[in-house]
Amino acid sequence: MNSPQLAVAPAFLRKLMAVVVVGAVILGVTAVVSPDRAWANLLLLSYYLITLGLGGALFIALTNVCGASWSVAFRRVPEALTGLLPVAGVLVLVAVALRLPQYAWHHHGHGGPGTFWFKELWLSSKFFAVRAVAFVLLWIVLARILVWNSRRQDTRAGVSNVPINTGVSVLFLGVFAITISLAGVDWIMALEPLWFSTMWGVYQFSGLIMATLAAMIIACICLRRMGPLEGIFTDEHLHDLGKLLMGFSCFWMYIWFSQYMLIWYSNIPEETSYFIPRLHGPWAPVVVGSLVLNWIIPFFALLPRPSKRSESIMLRVCVVVLIGRWVDLSVMIFPPVIGTTPLFGLPELASVAIPCGLASWLFFRSFSAAPPVPAGDPDLVASLHYHA
Amino acid sequence: MSDRVLLASFDHEDDLLAATEAVRQKGWRILDAFTPYAVHGLDHAMGLKPSRLTWVCFICGMTGALGMLWFEHWTASITWPIDVGGKPWNSLPSDVPVAFEAAVLLAGFGSVFALFGVSRLWPGKKPKVVYPRATDDRFVLVIDEADAAFDVPSAERFLQEFNVVETMERTQ
Repeated sequence: MNSPQLAVAPAFLRKLMAVVVVGAVILGVTAVVSPDRAWANLLLLSYYLITLGLGGALFIALTNVCGASWSVAFRRVPEALTGLLPVAGVLVLVAVALRLPQYAWHHHGHGGPGTFWFKELWLSSKFFAVRAVAFVLLWIVLARILVWNSRRQDTRAGVSNVPINTGVSVLFLGVFAITISLAGVDWIMALEPLWFSTMWGVYQFSGLIMATLAAMIIACICLRRMGPLEGIFTDEHLHDLGKLLMGFSCFWMYIWFSQYMLIWYSNIPEETSYFIPRLHGPWAPVVVGSLVLNWIIPFFALLPRPSKRSESIMLRVCVVVLIGRWVDLSVMIFPPVIGTTPLFGLPELASVAIPCGLASWLFFRSFSAAPPVPAGDPDLVASLHYHA
Repeated sequence: MSDRVLLASFDHEDDLLAATEAVRQKGWRILDAFTPYAVHGLDHAMGLKPSRLTWVCFICGMTGALGMLWFEHWTASITWPIDVGGKPWNSLPSDVPVAFEAAVLLAGFGSVFALFGVSRLWPGKKPKVVYPRATDDRFVLVIDEADAAFDVPSAERFLQEFNVVETMERTQ
């Protein structure tokens, strides 16, 4: 395969960087004026970015373990997404470090009945920090191995890589399932340490995979228009990614509703404490908005077959889903940190702009570091001739 | 449409696909194709219109969801209101799971039975095997000998380009 290497205009990359710098300055100023608001936005944007990178690794690992061939042609796209992990990891760790004392359990009451001793242990600052570092390092290392192995295959064609790919992918999936649940609990659920939900882990996963698929679809369409994936990323691939996006959109709604309905039904005060500030008051329309963006629009827009094969419809739906992910995360993070009134001003605009700019910048940098098509993969031909 | 058809059988799916495409472009009427397994792209080559089954599925699903929501509302808060856990009678969240299941059930059954109906399949129906080896290793194209102008020998010569293995005429 002779696909042109991606050449992104330096001026464009500089513009992306400028967006990030302006956003960072705004957040920096906010940190002086209103530290809580700046921190909430920092956590939101760094969690957004790290879950996108992690989703890229998840997609590679899942397709490797299944022995899937259809996705090989555009595998460099999720591989390039994992390039977000190191920078996003640093941002997450900065966010966690800045808030470490508030995360600790002892601020919310000493000792007590039941499982309090466990919470005290689990949320002690040292253990909390060590865990955060361990999660980020594990993700970066395993994603690096997956990408390294795939790039090594470019020069050593054949099937010798397949067992390593499968082994590392299985390991990654196991680690991912545990760490994403714990990371979501640590960094977001622990903002309200008296509240708990056993659906939280899978809820984090559902949002992560949906946003990742949306980002991948946008990237694939852009790269097809720019040249590197022209004639390689086909409408069949787009169609199947669209099916996955629609499926996981329904999955997200299913999980969201399952969590909500169980809490609503049993109506126990320690459980309803999450939903009362979000559904009784000014946050309610935002919550409804997140349901519209994450499920109602994607579901009805992607239901007909032609729309999953249409570039323009898919681009629009994916942008809606990425906005929906931001709104969903803001509903999780903002109420306990900045209070019962939703705010959308310059700092929030910055935390929208920074992920856009930084993710694009890191993605293009990472994508242009390797040939755009994994030419040595034995399944490449099957993927190029794939028929949905 | 005459009652005479031409059966052309092939050894490979690629030959069938190419022949189907060419026959359609020549303007001959393709009645059907029989293959041992689903051949990707054959519907496109035959020029079939997109299936209307999706609409049946969608309408059945919506009927299930909305019908069940209405039924739950009617039973639980209009005809025989029951206090469950102090919740309001018209509690939408408690109606959603059953509405969801009804949507899935009706969409599934609706699609399957609509497919059976359209394909005229019912229990005890005698199978009409047009060409037995299509269930084993042959790919068969059924072409309508539309009128007197349809020349069988020249059609056979045309199909030779696509490695046709056997051709035969049938009356329907």
